[in-house]
Amino acid sequence: MAFRDDVRRIRAIVWKDLTTERRSKAGFNAVASLGVTILVLFGLALGPDGKALHDAAAGALWLAILFAGVLAFNRSYQVELDGGALEALLLYPGARWAIFAGKLIANLIFVTLMLVIVVAVGIVLFSVDVPDTWPAIVGIMMLGVVGIVTLGTFYAAMSSRSRAREVLLPLLLYPMLIPVLLAAMSATKALLFGDLLNESGAWVQMLVLFDVIFLVATFLAFEYVIEV
Amino acid sequence: MASGMAGVGIGYVVASYVITWAVLAAMLVRTVGAVRRARAEYDQAAKGEYRT
Amino acid sequence: MSPASTNAFGPPKPAPAALGWFAVLFFMGAQVYSVATSPADELMGHLQKMMYVHVPAAWVTFAAFGVVLVASLYFLWTEDERADLLAASSAEVGSLFCGLTLVLGMLWGRPTWGVWWSWDARLTSTLVLFLIFVGYLSLRSFVEDPHRRGQWSAAVGILGAINVPIVWMSVKWWRTLHQIQSNPRGLSPEYLRGLLLNVAAFTLLTAWFIWKRYEAARYERAAEHASQAAALGGSNG
Repeated sequence: MAFRDDVRRIRAIVWKDLTTERRSKAGFNAVASLGVTILVLFGLALGPDGKALHDAAAGALWLAILFAGVLAFNRSYQVELDGGALEALLLYPGARWAIFAGKLIANLIFVTLMLVIVVAVGIVLFSVDVPDTWPAIVGIMMLGVVGIVTLGTFYAAMSSRSRAREVLLPLLLYPMLIPVLLAAMSATKALLFGDLLNESGAWVQMLVLFDVIFLVATFLAFEYVIEV
Repeated sequence: MASGMAGVGIGYVVASYVITWAVLAAMLVRTVGAVRRARAEYDQAAKGEYRT
Repeated sequence: MSPASTNAFGPPKPAPAALGWFAVLFFMGAQVYSVATSPADELMGHLQKMMYVHVPAAWVTFAAFGVVLVASLYFLWTEDERADLLAASSAEVGSLFCGLTLVLGMLWGRPTWGVWWSWDARLTSTLVLFLIFVGYLSLRSFVEDPHRRGQWSAAVGILGAINVPIVWMSVKWWRTLHQIQSNPRGLSPEYLRGLLLNVAAFTLLTAWFIWKRYEAARYERAAEHASQAAALGGSNG
């Protein structure tokens, strides 16, 4: 019984977060455009030599997703903060983890949609040959996004309510995401070039390990961080 | 080979010890100073309580 | 109101000065002894002596972070503010030793590999740990309310500590999968004693630093509380 209430609450939060985003379409378009802009900047930094671009495609892609996606995380709490709705949300009886789950899922959808656009543009800008193993790459991208969004949504619960929110989120988040980024970038890069060292399997294990550990840890820790 | 290595290395070894000792000495001074200051602050605040 | 000895509102028990003196003297003795008595290594020459500062510094860095982890968990469980102050003190001391470890690692790398930075697993992981420390301390500096600061720091400290072995593993794989040089070296027993002596000396000194830092934090908190109580008319609850 109680669980069904939680699921309903999660769905409500996901819907609210996404539709607030959709009504202000500017939100998604801005973030997606930023992702593309960052890709362009990387292209300028590394190019125009085709070889350097080609080698760096995986890295540039993930960093573009990271930098643009981070903007989504603080904003996912902004809606409640602006309206003073966070206190009201906390007044309702029920598990805090449902709030976290709702925001997590909304951010996942948001970042995934952005990723589609950024990847499409990246394939063009960096002259990427899409290999036959592309489903595996998609899988790795999903695992990486889960890791990034889980920790991003968690840390944003704090940074969005602090004085220095613009610097605090990246400062806390980026070092924590190093294993995810390293695994995702290395695995993506390997698969783009045929995975000659058969390393992608190990990186996938790392991604799964990271995602599982931090999904559990953030769900457990969220109530301590959101209440106070 | 060993003696050649030793010649090159000595400067770095000395530097590492100097830096370590300097950092620890600085930590010592600052920590003791911090405790003294904080304690003085507390004594003041505690006295202030009775000053009515 | 709970008695002063079970919460953070009263003054702390001061660390005994004798302990401090002993820690300093023991440290100096251990350092002088091991430098004086260790022979030049056949491959590394006198570079080997760096081990007596670099390895202990790395060890206490991780030990300090371990204290941050345990104190943070305890704080979330009991809401005893003293645990939060201990975590903060340990993080401050730990980050300093982390910085020292990095510098010493670079001083080791330069004559050994010819570069100041080689992106090897240990050095890189230590740098990431340093960044996590800095994030922790920055968070604390941006949050005013002690209760919120404690809860948030504890969460960040715990997650950070969980991540340390994961970061280490991923950077290690990143290196070894691309077959970059790794130099495993066993430790001959003649160096082991000096090393253990220095590890013990560093640990004692660090523990004393953390204790004193904690003492200062407790006095500051007690002062804050005392002046708040005075402002409210001198009643203690």
